[in-house]
Amino acid sequence: MPEPAVPRLTRLLGIVTQLEEHGEASFDDLARHFGVSREVIKDDIDTLWVSGLPGYGTTDLLDFDGYAYEEGIARLVESLGIRQIRLAPAEAVALMGALGSIVASGVASTAAEGALDALRDAVKGAMAVTVVGASTTDQAAVQALREGIETSRAVVVTYIDARDRRTERVIEPHRLVALDGIGYVECFCRRAGDYRTLRLDRLEGAKETDEPQAAPRRASEGFALEPQYEAEVMIDLAGRWAFEDLPGVELEETPDGVVARFGVANPQVIVARLLAVGPHLKKVGPADLRAQLAEAAEAVLASASIPGKDKA
Amino acid sequence: MPAPDAAERLLNLLIALTHARVRMTRAEIRATVAGYDPIDDRDDPETARKRTVAFERMFERDKEDLRRLGVPLRTVTDATHGDEIGYVIDAGDATMPPITLSAVERAVVAVAADYWQNAALGTDARRALIKITSSAARVEDETVHLAARSTVGVDAAPALAQAIADGQAVRFTYTSATSGKAERTVEPWRLVVRGGPLYLVGLDRDRGEPRTYRLSRIEGAVTAVGDRGAFVAPSGLAGIHLEAAVPTLTARIGLRAESGHAIRRRGRFLRSEGEWDIYDVSYCDTEYLRDEILGLAGAARVVSPETLAEAVVAHARAALEVAHA
Repeated sequence: MPEPAVPRLTRLLGIVTQLEEHGEASFDDLARHFGVSREVIKDDIDTLWVSGLPGYGTTDLLDFDGYAYEEGIARLVESLGIRQIRLAPAEAVALMGALGSIVASGVASTAAEGALDALRDAVKGAMAVTVVGASTTDQAAVQALREGIETSRAVVVTYIDARDRRTERVIEPHRLVALDGIGYVECFCRRAGDYRTLRLDRLEGAKETDEPQAAPRRASEGFALEPQYEAEVMIDLAGRWAFEDLPGVELEETPDGVVARFGVANPQVIVARLLAVGPHLKKVGPADLRAQLAEAAEAVLASASIPGKDKA
Repeated sequence: MPAPDAAERLLNLLIALTHARVRMTRAEIRATVAGYDPIDDRDDPETARKRTVAFERMFERDKEDLRRLGVPLRTVTDATHGDEIGYVIDAGDATMPPITLSAVERAVVAVAADYWQNAALGTDARRALIKITSSAARVEDETVHLAARSTVGVDAAPALAQAIADGQAVRFTYTSATSGKAERTVEPWRLVVRGGPLYLVGLDRDRGEPRTYRLSRIEGAVTAVGDRGAFVAPSGLAGIHLEAAVPTLTARIGLRAESGHAIRRRGRFLRSEGEWDIYDVSYCDTEYLRDEILGLAGAARVVSPETLAEAVVAHARAALEVAHA
């Protein structure tokens, strides 16, 4: 299938702009800069060379130096004044929404805010997207993690887990990650003796140590929030909201109710959601998740039935 | 010469309209811009008609592609030419202003461009990255130990962003928890990202009131309806409650040792009763506090009010019933 027209046109204009701004460039350098192969760049130059004004005589066309071309170098002789086009509304929303979301998650350094400001200046008129923070992070703690990542040192953190228990642990931070607007640190946790992904908004403090990291960083491209198992839950329409924003969820409306299928990375988080929509639940699977749900529900009921309530 | 591909034709159209002295009519575009199929006088009427229909379809698609790319195609009517519509591009309006980013900033923008994964917005974000880096110096990107990803449904976002920019109303099918599935006609004002999900804030025309819609609940295509520039969005987001309201109610909660830190932080410690620490906590949303207590899975209990305690018990019982089914 040929490349769609719109992305290709964007790159064609990009090449002309790049050459106008910074002078001649080898096909290889352009390929690296635009993230495509040398062949694609050569095709692009060939296309640009025969494009121009109606009439399409020799003086109406974009022009390159033929000798340089033979050497694999793009040297622009005539640009006809064409330049890269400003961001379209959907492009601005896509990039600035993503950047804003990364900033709001707390994982980004000041560089992200700097980039966001620079982009905001470049986009004319009112922005069509606003980002509202969904969590608050202790930026001093995140900075300590960032330094731990860059210097390959261990960090001591105070962490509140999903059941709201406070623990102190020594971790070897590897990477900061924003997933659906929430910030995490991927790390090796010495307390657990295993790799863990911790939420940044549950950190109550972090302090760097002098100890070098010992566990190898995992080469995985993916996120460490990998699902342990697949779950399938049926709820009525009123309970649908609780599943809509689960990572990778598939929702299917059936005559009996809405069926949500999703991967379970942290059972405690899923069990909390299931309890929150208790009256709307119809079916829960697999058996593991049912058992965890039953255990949590029984614990809630046991605590609630303690006698000697004092009336406020 | 082989037929030029669509990108090549768009480029030639862009150059021609940017350099047009006043404007170009459709007929002029068809006759002179490379890549379009010009009128051939030797055609019989049926072939000529078919080729004209094909040209019109191609030109409409090209106009739409340029719009999607952010090129403001201005239409100019000229009475001396029998009111036939002509087109022109104002180069000044169309050009990307220079953006200076440091190497680290650029690396972060590249991470952001991958945020939406394969969703509809992903294509737009990657194109935005190409546009922004077009004028940037060719240097190696810095390594940032950072990754970002979104997994929520945002398919409706590009169409809504365009409609907001155009000041054009939209129609879509929306599922709400309270009123089920229905067709909505909305004047879109703004997209809001909060945590993972994207929301649309706009005026619901049927209800005559501002509403907030979650994009993942929009089903199928978003259709633009009516004229462009039909309304002006208010500059603020007045009347839209995305932030939590001011807490006005108070609950008394018992917490087990070393747990319930979120409630502890917000609340006021009263006393310890055996293994329970008793706190007073202000809240505005009963359902939120109820879910928080459920999530603590027995590490918290409601002392008062009774309605909250009952809600917690009712939810746990209902869940237990399903878990044992």
